[in-house]
Amino acid sequence: MTQPVISINRISKRFGGTRALHEVSFDVMPGELHAICGENGAGKSTLMKILSGVITSYEGELLIDGDVVHFSGTKDAESVGISIIHQELNLVEQLSVAANIFLGRELRNGLFLRDDRAMEAQAADLLESLDCDIPPDRLAGSLRVGDQQLIEIAKALSINSRILVMDEPTSALTESEVERLYRVIAKLRSQGTTILYISHKMEEVFHLSDRITVLRDGQFIATRNTKETTPGEITKLMVGRDIESLELGPRSQRGELVLEVRNLSLEWPGHARGYRLKDISLELYRGEVLGIAGLMGAGRTELLECLFGASTLEPTGEILLEGYPIKPRHPADAKQAGLALVTEDRKRLGIFNTMNVGRNISMCSLRDAAIGPMLNSYQEEQLSESMVEKLRIKTAGLTPPIGALSGGNQQKCIVGRWLLTGPKVLLLDDPTRGVDVGAKAELYRVIRSLCAEGLGVIVTSSELPELLTISDRIMVLSEGRKTAEFRIEDATQEKIMEAATKSWQSHEIDR
Amino acid sequence: MSNETTSPLGRLLSSVEFKLIVSWVFVVLVTMLLDTRNTYWNKPADSVELILRQTVLLGFFALGAAIIIISGGIDLSSGSVIAMSATVFGSLMIVLDPEGFKAGHVSTNAVVLSIAGTLLVGAMVGTLHAWLITSVGLPPFVATLATLVGLRSFGRGLTPTITGGKSQIDFSDLGLRESLKDVTSISILFILFALLLWFLMSRTVTGRHLQAMGGNEQAAKLSGIRTDRLKWLAYVIGAVSASIVGIISFADTGSAKPDIMARGYELNAIAASVIGGCSLQGGVGTISGTILGCLFLRTIIDAVQKIVGTGADVYEGMIVGIVVVVAVTFSQRGSSKIASKKYFSNAIGWSVIPTLGLLTGLSYLLFFGAREWYANYQAFLIGVTVVVALSIRAFLESRPSVNGQT
Repeated sequence: MTQPVISINRISKRFGGTRALHEVSFDVMPGELHAICGENGAGKSTLMKILSGVITSYEGELLIDGDVVHFSGTKDAESVGISIIHQELNLVEQLSVAANIFLGRELRNGLFLRDDRAMEAQAADLLESLDCDIPPDRLAGSLRVGDQQLIEIAKALSINSRILVMDEPTSALTESEVERLYRVIAKLRSQGTTILYISHKMEEVFHLSDRITVLRDGQFIATRNTKETTPGEITKLMVGRDIESLELGPRSQRGELVLEVRNLSLEWPGHARGYRLKDISLELYRGEVLGIAGLMGAGRTELLECLFGASTLEPTGEILLEGYPIKPRHPADAKQAGLALVTEDRKRLGIFNTMNVGRNISMCSLRDAAIGPMLNSYQEEQLSESMVEKLRIKTAGLTPPIGALSGGNQQKCIVGRWLLTGPKVLLLDDPTRGVDVGAKAELYRVIRSLCAEGLGVIVTSSELPELLTISDRIMVLSEGRKTAEFRIEDATQEKIMEAATKSWQSHEIDR
Repeated sequence: MSNETTSPLGRLLSSVEFKLIVSWVFVVLVTMLLDTRNTYWNKPADSVELILRQTVLLGFFALGAAIIIISGGIDLSSGSVIAMSATVFGSLMIVLDPEGFKAGHVSTNAVVLSIAGTLLVGAMVGTLHAWLITSVGLPPFVATLATLVGLRSFGRGLTPTITGGKSQIDFSDLGLRESLKDVTSISILFILFALLLWFLMSRTVTGRHLQAMGGNEQAAKLSGIRTDRLKWLAYVIGAVSASIVGIISFADTGSAKPDIMARGYELNAIAASVIGGCSLQGGVGTISGTILGCLFLRTIIDAVQKIVGTGADVYEGMIVGIVVVVAVTFSQRGSSKIASKKYFSNAIGWSVIPTLGLLTGLSYLLFFGAREWYANYQAFLIGVTVVVALSIRAFLESRPSVNGQT
């Protein structure tokens, strides 16, 4: 039997009172693609941080090639050949691709000066070995997320990493970028690189991996050979319960028209296409979930921002809410009219990190808890408390900081924040991003029950199965245009994908 | 952040306010011990009045600065706004009642109008800031840097025009001067002002919105909060509070010299807010903390004056600098973490040790040097002691972590 390249032996880690890892042990064999699955908070990231030298104090042993190692920083991990591609990429956007690849290890010429030309040449070679044609002198910030990720991979290759840790690498990629990533992974494996692959997505894990290790609540649950298991079994191991039978509650009856959009367009000055959105029309009825599908950059977020008055430029076209035209130019206008938006980027655009759970929930409805300008803290607590109960938010009261909650519960707080404003239409922009499996189902149930109360809901998502689960109708965007609309009975992943990948040139030809 | 204590007592004990009160008491006690003339014992009323006056004068515009900092901005202009407001106040009195001003009896109407006019000018400066930041799109640092430089210059230009060639305005009405600088009145006024701002920040919707904007401006806007209006409010409060100080300082010093008056005060205000627990990232800070920050800062400055004696105003900047570093270090982490954190173990740490030794030795010499012939040797010894002590700490820190588990 060959020696494992990584051996994790009874590793434990606590953060204050919470146990992030508890006596986790498993082996990774050389050259394999070892997937690590688990819900958010299962301890995957903590383990990877230990492995890459980010976390340096822990209990237990880490063995590389049979020798006990204790990294005191990421440099140590790199020196034994471990690199990590984080979910949030670590690039300096103002520097060139080549400069990023060689950051901290810049090449020098005979005079000990920085040798940009040599770095660009080597970077070009590395990128070519990954079959991608990114010019090495481009600024990293000007690249798409998928390309940025390849730069991180190139960086790992440039330090001769033989163990690559990838933390949810596809979470921000388009289908075609995912394809390319798969090709790169295949290439790396043919060169003998060992890959630790962290992902929620069963499809990917089963497509790529040799073995799968499941963590739950900081504990090791099982390692399975991919060929001998099923997605159902892994999911079950992850959540510790059966979620095959997703009981979301009944679909509700479609009520009267609540929101109508006619020929909405948004310019995009300086871009070849000239527009971010072009002639979008849609209707939304009470008690209905309209799903918006589309690849990255198709204009999903932009459409919701236009409806909510949050776009930087003013859109053209008409928005009618319950038959009356509205022109929101500030989110305050939209809120007043009865719209609510739960944003895509929860950390940056959603939560108030300096405030507690209660204040995060009451933020949009403080006027309802105030007499004149004066806040009534009792009433405010009542409002927040009502949402904690209604949405079953798991929190130890209203006073813990919002950051102490899991992603799914934070998201529920923001949904609750908007429900308190009594909206007629709820816009949810990729509401389950970074939310674990169990909490996703919870959010679906919440959406269903809100529909039953007569709300119209628009949901965008980057995951098609999700849209197919919750939507009553699905509208597809591609490059800023509406390319199809399906009733849920007619929608399939293939049809949606086809409509989502139509390019704008082909539109012009169609006409 | 793992210092969440749930019990009310625990929260009180870990609050910035409590720590400041304890430190303040400590400073007062040390001053009593070290002050050879026993000023606090012999002239308690005078001492209280002095500290109170200075705390209140700093407090007004420090609170303004705190509101701006909590709402996520920064105001570098307050020193210049103070100087300009003093000039404007004097100029308005001269213009409205030239005869009375010369004779030393400005009419009540003119005084009231002048005060109102000066506060209005303050509000206009605040509005200008808000416009530069929200509509022109300048970062607050740049916008208020421009007015920091510009408004002082404006005051200097205004003075000779009004006075007929003089570079300062002298406060001729002694009666008015006395009543404007009266420590009881300005203290009461300050308490009212502080209560108003405390009410705004902790009891109103607007206050919560200001905090939210400071914590996450984008999220605040997307929550339907009109952030531009809030910024206007914050910068107007900031500038008006500086104008109030301008009026009082004019009376207090007896003359408005726009070239040197209140120079560098803006940094004292920011320092007091930071000592009082405001975070320059925005979203965090309290009115009570800021007031205690002002009290603490002024008391320490006063203590050094008492202990060192004459010429201590020279060292004000040094004291403010040291207090800011120490206070923020302690409020960021508890004292237990400071014991275990590594400060001197790497190359930068080692190389700062001589600097700190030199600084301590020289400070000792500057503060107490004039007294005895052997002071030079004392100072040298103290410097060497600091270097040795810190080197020992550095050595202990750089050993493999024995207490790494903590």
